[in-house]
Amino acid sequence: MPATSDRKPTHADLMDRRVSLLSAACYVVVTLILLRLAYLQVVMGDFYADQAIRNLIRSYPLKAQRGIIYGRDFKTQRPVVLASNRAAFDLYLVPKECEDREEEVCRRLEQLIGIDGDALLDDISLHRERREYFTQIPVKQDISRVDLVRVEEMSYALPGVFTVARPQRRYLYGAVGGQIMGYIGEISREELKQTNDYTMGDTLGRSGVEQQYQNILRGQDGRIVMSVYNQGIPQIRYDPFGNPVVVTDKGGAKVATDQKGRRVTIEYRDDPVPGKPIELTLDMELQRKAEECLAAMDGQRGAIVVMIAGNETYGYDQAGQILAMASSPGYDPNVFVDPSGNVLVDDTGNVVPPSPEARRNPEVKSLRRRLLEDADGLRRMRHRAYQERAFPGSIYKIAVAIAGLEEGVVNRDATYFCPGHFTLGNARWACHKAGGHGRINVVDALAVSCDVYFYNLGRDLGVERIADWSHRLGLGVATGIDLPQEDTGLIPTPEWKEEYYGRLFPDMSPYDRRWQRGDTINLAIGQGDCKITPLQAAVLMAAVVTDGRIVTPYINLARGPRVSEPVMSPETLAILREGLTQVVAKDTYPRGTGIRAAIPDMHIMGKTGTAQVASMRLYGHLPEEEIPYHLRSHAWFVSGVMDRNPPIVIAILYEHGLHGSSGASPYSKELMEFFYNERCPEQPVRIAGREVDLSRADAAADADAAAQSERDG
Amino acid sequence: MTQIDTSLHLFEGHIGVFDPKNLRRVDWVLVGLTAVLAIAGLMTLYSASFGEYIRADASNDLGFLGSLQTVAASWFGRQLAYLLVGVALAALIISLDYRLLVSLGPTMYIIVLILLVLVHFFGEEVNGARRWLDLGFTKLQPSEFSKPALVYMLAWYLSRIGERVQNVFLFALALIFMAIPAGLIFLQPSLSVAIVLAPIVLIMLFTAGCRLWQILVLVLPGILLAGLVWWQVTDYERLNQDVDAYMAKSYPLGIRLSPHQIDRILTFRDPERDPRDKGYQAIQMKITVGSGEVLGKGYGKGTQTHFKFLPEFHTDLIFALLAEEWGFVGAAAVAIVFLAFLMRALALAASCTEPSGSLLAVGCAAVLGFHAFANMAITVGLLPVTGMPLPFLSYGGSFYMTTMICVGTILSVHVRKRFLQ
Repeated sequence: MPATSDRKPTHADLMDRRVSLLSAACYVVVTLILLRLAYLQVVMGDFYADQAIRNLIRSYPLKAQRGIIYGRDFKTQRPVVLASNRAAFDLYLVPKECEDREEEVCRRLEQLIGIDGDALLDDISLHRERREYFTQIPVKQDISRVDLVRVEEMSYALPGVFTVARPQRRYLYGAVGGQIMGYIGEISREELKQTNDYTMGDTLGRSGVEQQYQNILRGQDGRIVMSVYNQGIPQIRYDPFGNPVVVTDKGGAKVATDQKGRRVTIEYRDDPVPGKPIELTLDMELQRKAEECLAAMDGQRGAIVVMIAGNETYGYDQAGQILAMASSPGYDPNVFVDPSGNVLVDDTGNVVPPSPEARRNPEVKSLRRRLLEDADGLRRMRHRAYQERAFPGSIYKIAVAIAGLEEGVVNRDATYFCPGHFTLGNARWACHKAGGHGRINVVDALAVSCDVYFYNLGRDLGVERIADWSHRLGLGVATGIDLPQEDTGLIPTPEWKEEYYGRLFPDMSPYDRRWQRGDTINLAIGQGDCKITPLQAAVLMAAVVTDGRIVTPYINLARGPRVSEPVMSPETLAILREGLTQVVAKDTYPRGTGIRAAIPDMHIMGKTGTAQVASMRLYGHLPEEEIPYHLRSHAWFVSGVMDRNPPIVIAILYEHGLHGSSGASPYSKELMEFFYNERCPEQPVRIAGREVDLSRADAAADADAAAQSERDG
Repeated sequence: MTQIDTSLHLFEGHIGVFDPKNLRRVDWVLVGLTAVLAIAGLMTLYSASFGEYIRADASNDLGFLGSLQTVAASWFGRQLAYLLVGVALAALIISLDYRLLVSLGPTMYIIVLILLVLVHFFGEEVNGARRWLDLGFTKLQPSEFSKPALVYMLAWYLSRIGERVQNVFLFALALIFMAIPAGLIFLQPSLSVAIVLAPIVLIMLFTAGCRLWQILVLVLPGILLAGLVWWQVTDYERLNQDVDAYMAKSYPLGIRLSPHQIDRILTFRDPERDPRDKGYQAIQMKITVGSGEVLGKGYGKGTQTHFKFLPEFHTDLIFALLAEEWGFVGAAAVAIVFLAFLMRALALAASCTEPSGSLLAVGCAAVLGFHAFANMAITVGLLPVTGMPLPFLSYGGSFYMTTMICVGTILSVHVRKRFLQ
């Protein structure tokens, strides 16, 4: 009843007024709510719609298969597989699909493949409690073929148990060439921070070819994008090709289920692009032979490089191909990808059965960890042919001889007198031949490896010119091989010595760290601080074989040869060839030091090296066999073939092998015979000393071969 | 019994205490608005129950009977049952003379108090709270029925004292009527239901014509307390949330919020502080409502809700589901229908000249209105998250009964009023 102005308001009027006030309050509240709704839905709508999509849509990677690594069979020139991806089978169990029969299934699995049935039952009941009936519970990773067959034969009695194949890296040659393959491992958190190219769980090549060609081998991961429930984890099965198995429901949508059995719709899917293959220059049989040679050595430590060189006759288009590059001791890269790497090994290398006590023992480690931590101190993870340096000893005389001839300090006929020792100031250096070689020229000095000749030549050249020529010849600088973490070696110079000793011994007097004249004398025969890698030794030898050109070694066949212009004159080259041929061929007294590498009817050049690793004072008084192993000299031998197609060079480093001539050079012969007889059984061809059309080198070689066979016939 | 007699002698001769013919005289506008809200509620719940099937455009293959069973067992099916029971309950209330029910107010009030005590001892314990009484065939939430019981009790009390509500003692007595059930409910504990009783009583006292200062005296300490809380929260923030430094400060009356409580307030203001735990629901609520945009994602296609990113979307947060699927257009329409419903209810209350009827209708409107507005304000992020169902939309039997009792009561008051003039 409305109140009128002409009478006193009653209590009922008051109540009416209050009700109207309440109505007004309602309008205010609804207005506020509507304004807020409009703000959220109209003004901010796009933003929140985007957020909702982000909640809903999840992307899961589909891993690309890693590219295959091929080597080659040099005999047939066909590729052989070195590293590929096998299917590793993992066994899973889905609780929902074996409902009421879990006990039976678990016991049966225990019998069949020896898993812990109780642990699996506990796992199942845990998922039951969380109502995650559809979770794929891993039963056993990477089961053996035998187990796989057993499980599949019994599959009718194992409901809910299924296998999933996933690609796993496999190195078919195992430890043969293992360090060249390198190994793979999961990306670390630190590495993830530095790149946005990778995601958690991606694999990376850690060394060798796997690391060098990571970007080619890795391919491109695909992804599968799904709309998921809150905290839903899609349970996708993969077929043996790594493709997700999906179901199409009635509405035509592609679906999978999550761990609680809810439907997860697959919105779209990008298929992965597999990694591209890499074809290596390695001849695996030669590689195996080289490793057998290393294994035959006392102490089994060393490195062998076999590289194709080139020359005018046979052309340069294969120059630089690494045919074999062995390093001992090595490792089997499979250890890093398959369960064999988890085997526990104690300090002495014996396998220890897994037990809680073994796990607590700090001396017992997995094979994988032992390798990575270099537990036996043998630097197995390093390839000694290009990642480790050593004193070159006499093989360095090749570089000094080239420097002396090119700088005009000596010529073919210039001689020095070798009385068996060399004095400079108060110091005295011995030649390895106590009685001395008498008057000797460069050819003979190389052939018999006369130290005194090179002491004199080194003194006359000076350190600067020696170092400069060494660098030009590829020593002390990276060879440019397409493998990671290459060591550059070191050719000492006065600046280097000042800096290095100043850094290492800050208290050392400036006089002591200055370059001494005696340092040059040491350098002249490859001692002192001079260190090179076996690969650099091979490049040095290849320079003499390949008409004075510096060859860049390579291992990826697709990379192609890189051969420099000649760095020395033809005269120098001829003298060097003569000297180095004499090393192997000179059978009159005094005989060449590398005569053990000689093969009848084959033009071989070589140079031995015996590099002291400790002062003579420490062991000079001992008979050879009583010298402690770690003090014995390194044995070197570099050799090259001139008259075979393809011409190869070999560098052998036999650590603590005592003598280059007796320790290392026989292996050169063994490898050359093996290569030319077994791997490359072409007819021997002599250098005819005539013009050869380089672009038709192969045709010329064929013609020569035909001519030769005619003559023989 | 004397009370019933006094009520009865007011009747005109041809109207009985129980007269189903009254059903034909209801206010059809309010009935229509009720129907709109009830249908909107059922539709939303259907989406909440079967959204996944609607989304994929594929029916599940349970067969007709199986589908029927599934539907009957779903939130939607049960809510439909509650609605039918509620309609019957409302029809019964309309058929009865509301003054009979008002005179029974104290009895209802005492029964509810007894039930609240019983639930304290025999209630079913869920998550450390005793809120439900298991009657064997159904479960009851006595705290829900405290709302209509309190309305009837106060309508009886305030119509008796009339203008004397301005007397401080009689005013305070009304507050005590509220405090007893509120305290019992608070002990369950069910804070949000206990809180609802306060505004209902205040609105009824306000309508009954108490003096404004009496309301202010009640509200003022609350405002002061809010000021103190604000002071402490800003102090806490200014001290870079250093707990020790904050605890070293002293505040008037020794009232001090614990750092944990301040954290909750800060999280309400800025949910991003703790997006995975305390701020999670607030953030997801905003995303759910906001992502509906103007026209919504489509019926049954709410991703935030059906994919479980937002919890409780079938009960307290159902308005978010509505806003997500129907967009601003749908959410605003429902808000406006609620407003229209309340305007009509208040108009019916005002048109009733008999004080107890007027108070009854206002009280019932207050119950519905407060729930509706508080729920919507929470969902859009204007108030901190507390459990508050939305009338007609939220799933829940006891609250649906409360809702339908309130609707029936408002209609019943209207039906009788013209015979009272």
